[in-house]
Amino acid sequence: MTDTTMPAPRLSPMQRLKRPKALIVLSVLMVIPLVAYVMFGEALARAGLREIVLIPAVPATLILYALAMSSWRESWVAILGGTLVFFWVFVAVSVPFLPLLDPNKPIQPFAPPGTERGDITFWLGTDLKGRDMLSRMLWGCQRVLVWGVTATAVAYVVGCIFGLIAGYISGIWDEIISFISNVLLSFPVMVLFILILNYLGPSGFNIVIAVTFASAPAIMRIVRGLALDNKTRDYVFAAQTRGEHPFRIMVWELLPNVRGPIIVDACLRLGYTTVAITTLTFLGLGLQPPDPDWGLMIKEASNLMVWQFSYMLLIPALAVSSLILGFNLMADGLREMSLRD
Amino acid sequence: MSFLKPRKDDHPKVHEAYEVMQDGRMDRREFVRVAALVGVSAGAAYAMAGIPSPAWALENSPFPADDPKAKKGGKLRVGMQVQKMEDSATYNWVEMSNQSRHVVEYLSMTGPDNITRPMLAESWTPSKDLKTWTFKLRKGVMWHNGEELVADHVVWNIKRWLTPGLGTSNVGLATFGSMRKDSGKKDAKGKPIMVGIENAVEALDKHTVRFNLSKPVLSVPEDCYHYPAAILHPSFKKPLSDNLIGTGPYEMVELEVGKKCVLRRITKMKNGKPFTYWGGAVYLDEIQYFNFSSENQLAALASNSVDAINEFSIEQMALATSLPIDIHPARTARTLCLRMQISKKPFDNHKLRQALVTAADNAKIKNLVYPKGGDVGQNHHVAPVHPEYFPLPPLKRDVAKAKKLLAEAGYPNGIELTIDVGNTDGPWHQTVCEALRDQVKEAGINLKINVMPASKYWEVWDKTPFGATAWTHRALGTMVMGLGYRTGVPWNETHFASKEFDDALSDAEATFDVEERRKKMEKVQKLLQDAAVMVLPLFRPVYNASAKKVNGYLMHPTGFHQFNKVWVA
Amino acid sequence: MLKLIARRLLQMVLIMAVVSLILFVVFDSDKFKKQIATAELGGFSVAAMSDHDYQKWLKDKGLDVPVYERYAQWVGGLLQGDFGKSFEKNAPVSKVMGERLLNTGILAFWVFALMIPLSLIFGIVAGMKEGSFQDRSVSFIAVFTTSIPEIATAILLTVFIGLGLGWLPAKSAMTGGWNSVELILPVLTLVLYDFGYVARMTRASMAEVMTSQYIRTAVLKGIPYARVIMRHALRNALIAPFTVIVLQLNWLLSGVVVVEVFFQFNGFGKMLLEAALFGDVYVIQAATLVAVFVAVLSQIISDVGYTFLNPRIRFS
Repeated sequence: MTDTTMPAPRLSPMQRLKRPKALIVLSVLMVIPLVAYVMFGEALARAGLREIVLIPAVPATLILYALAMSSWRESWVAILGGTLVFFWVFVAVSVPFLPLLDPNKPIQPFAPPGTERGDITFWLGTDLKGRDMLSRMLWGCQRVLVWGVTATAVAYVVGCIFGLIAGYISGIWDEIISFISNVLLSFPVMVLFILILNYLGPSGFNIVIAVTFASAPAIMRIVRGLALDNKTRDYVFAAQTRGEHPFRIMVWELLPNVRGPIIVDACLRLGYTTVAITTLTFLGLGLQPPDPDWGLMIKEASNLMVWQFSYMLLIPALAVSSLILGFNLMADGLREMSLRD
Repeated sequence: MSFLKPRKDDHPKVHEAYEVMQDGRMDRREFVRVAALVGVSAGAAYAMAGIPSPAWALENSPFPADDPKAKKGGKLRVGMQVQKMEDSATYNWVEMSNQSRHVVEYLSMTGPDNITRPMLAESWTPSKDLKTWTFKLRKGVMWHNGEELVADHVVWNIKRWLTPGLGTSNVGLATFGSMRKDSGKKDAKGKPIMVGIENAVEALDKHTVRFNLSKPVLSVPEDCYHYPAAILHPSFKKPLSDNLIGTGPYEMVELEVGKKCVLRRITKMKNGKPFTYWGGAVYLDEIQYFNFSSENQLAALASNSVDAINEFSIEQMALATSLPIDIHPARTARTLCLRMQISKKPFDNHKLRQALVTAADNAKIKNLVYPKGGDVGQNHHVAPVHPEYFPLPPLKRDVAKAKKLLAEAGYPNGIELTIDVGNTDGPWHQTVCEALRDQVKEAGINLKINVMPASKYWEVWDKTPFGATAWTHRALGTMVMGLGYRTGVPWNETHFASKEFDDALSDAEATFDVEERRKKMEKVQKLLQDAAVMVLPLFRPVYNASAKKVNGYLMHPTGFHQFNKVWVA
Repeated sequence: MLKLIARRLLQMVLIMAVVSLILFVVFDSDKFKKQIATAELGGFSVAAMSDHDYQKWLKDKGLDVPVYERYAQWVGGLLQGDFGKSFEKNAPVSKVMGERLLNTGILAFWVFALMIPLSLIFGIVAGMKEGSFQDRSVSFIAVFTTSIPEIATAILLTVFIGLGLGWLPAKSAMTGGWNSVELILPVLTLVLYDFGYVARMTRASMAEVMTSQYIRTAVLKGIPYARVIMRHALRNALIAPFTVIVLQLNWLLSGVVVVEVFFQFNGFGKMLLEAALFGDVYVIQAATLVAVFVAVLSQIISDVGYTFLNPRIRFS
């Protein structure tokens, strides 16, 4: 809106890309192709677009990573966390183009890491069905990232909507929404997950629903608090006197002003959701085979309790830990930076 | 070796079978099985067949011979799913029967050699037409409450199985099924209600029971060892686990479903008198079952949480062979049917089904999943371990022909199909489907694999248009064909319906001579194979394992536990 | 204060009533009855059942009664301490659950017994000197251990300590009777995951207290540093960690599921998962109520305790 009125000729390309609009475009370019690739892979494959769709995501991810590194220079925690997260995102968007073995193809069961077979080397060995562990580990990040991001996003949308309603409109709506969220919050999370997924059946889409039920009440509480706090601020009064619709005020005025704490919370919550998906998949309530996933890899190998086969458990365990560590460090670094500002 | 000949008073079937065997038309082991079925003692049958009876086999006892090296006492800890025991007649998992197998016993017992010997019965004699069977019970078999087992107790049990609405799978067997008739009444869905025939089973004296069947049945003794056919004391009340009075060498002292089940050797009866077991010595003081899901049993054995396990699956073979344990295999007719329901689109298209099975390479799938052991399936569900198996020519994969068939079926540009898989026997189901997917892809069939949890699969197994269903071992090929493929039977998951097949199967079922029956099976097997209702790629072996210190632990093809002569060093 | 507690307890009862009613209605669907039948009888048996047999089975199980009647019966039983009967285990729910809760209780006891001193010491040491080396290392260790999910911690501990070194058993099924050694790995897993969070909370609280006016004054007055910490700082710094620790009870009920399943430990979490997969309605009901009860109770205790300990805050 303000771009046309403000002459900004001296911004470097880097700085231009750091404006919110550009960041949003880049994030969309990074996330949407990946989501489409994982969720609608079948349909895309039929249209012959399966791999092509990911092409714009690769540069978008790299640019975003460069931007993040340059603006987080002051916090090595954020740099470390961001590097871990972007590593896995980069793997997720580029894995179809990497020279890897088919992750679902059984070749030679129980080959320990480093086994050579003809011209193939299994750097991380093969699993009990003879599928290449390196390939499965790298491919495995796709589903957990996509479902984790989607579930968190949906939980946020739902949580924000109800939080804004409860905080801004208050009254009877606040009472009802707060009671429902109290009911949901009084469940231990895993109990709620088990009940919901057992009822709906295990699948990625149902994980989204379950995570929404489990996370949205807490998000709603945060947003409600922020909305209550911001409601009395001048800029909201100004909008009200301009006669703007409450919905417009909520989305365009309130939301951008409360984004700081929400982004930090979102990073943490992405970590929780990743843990939840992996754990639920391990328990048999989450993602289903045959496509690779870290939780499934753990589940399949969890009965091979012998030292010589323990690499099958260690590899997915370390992979998932590194991603979650990345989310947590990133949240920590962002919080640190926001406190400093 | 001196060949024993059938005696004059032996059942005519023995003479008939003996002649068939002498002509070289019957396998000697098969003769032993048949002779034992019609009442010849196993030892005598082995002698007639001219093959040595197994080293462990005894005259007059279904159990192995005593082991002179055996150490008495001790506990055996077994990893198995511990399930509830409501009523032995409605058992639906073999595990349940294993928990009570050493407490309540059966009229007969089929050993690991597939020969059925008398157990609570001392002997049996069928009539010439195989419709009337007379069982002599062992004398001096005592219940744990101090009563003696008598014919009335057996009659009470069988009559209970025939009660409408009890829901026992015993009445699905030929023997007990032919003790029932249509009552003329119908239930809410219009299915006839079946009731027991008067005098189908009667006590002739204190130790003699007679079955009067409505049609000839050969497999009566085998049916009496069906796992829900345990003989209970008539004081039975549900749940069985609270009220378990048996004739076996053990009593159940503890059952906690999902955790453990403890059996202890019984020394005193309820009336305080010492208990003497009719079956001779048993070595273990205690048998303890600990609940481990099938995937976790081997890990439990490896970590010494248990001494022996019920079963492990082929995926764990590499782990098993790396451990210092004994692995016991058994060749079986257990299988996986990638079956299509031919009443549903697009599987009502015969050409399409043919295209699918022609594009599949069963032998390759078998070798992928079971590199050692196991048998290649030929899409007709009769296994090489079945006595009447007719070896049809091997199936050949032909991609060009499959493509042609697919085009003729109306899909010149290929087709996308989805198969439901529940991995109900382990992840190898999925491996089979994945191998099939890769094979049929070349013919233009794009197979999607929809994996679901085992419990969900069992909710849809008989409804899904295309699914991978596991079938357990059954002693005879005719049994499984009758259960799964006869028109309109409850387990006919393919909805295959063919009068010609039904008639050919009935004809084979009524044929005693195995060679004759095998000839008739050719038509039965061929009809099913040509209908192309499924890809049945393999018959799998089963494995269990025990620690080195455990002796006499065997794998039974049906998974039954028989621990009378097991001992722990 | 009493009024507040009474209100919260009333709210808890209301929540439990709502939740149990919802669960009853959900599990009353034909789909779930079929699920129980399939779980109990097996797919082959259910397919062979006539409608007559199925209706009889429903009647045997008491599932043919309308849902409101069953709910009323269940609530009636509940008031007399009867939780109903488990379909899967064929035993009263109270007996099944009592034993499982006891096992989980023992597990939880050791988790807390280790986690509380560990996290408090780490947190206080870090918070004493904000920004120091000890602060940074504790913070890093805390983020690191908390970032490794329980399932991965369980794997790492099992693989290295259980399988590699062979010091501890890899499974905790206690087949040879109760064996405390088998408890070590599950306890360690839970402590490692959780202590970092409490330590960070303690650190934050301690750091805040250390910057407060009266501590500075005390230091300036020349009171020995150790005495300032022990006498003055700790008392105030431990208020916030107390509430956090109580709330860990709630977390533990979630956390134990995966740990108990992984280690095959027969506790509350494993029971809940088994019951959910079987469709064992009464066990699910009872377990959910217990979980909600513990969760809400821990919230109340933490709120009340906070008010009680901190004289500056009073609920209006």
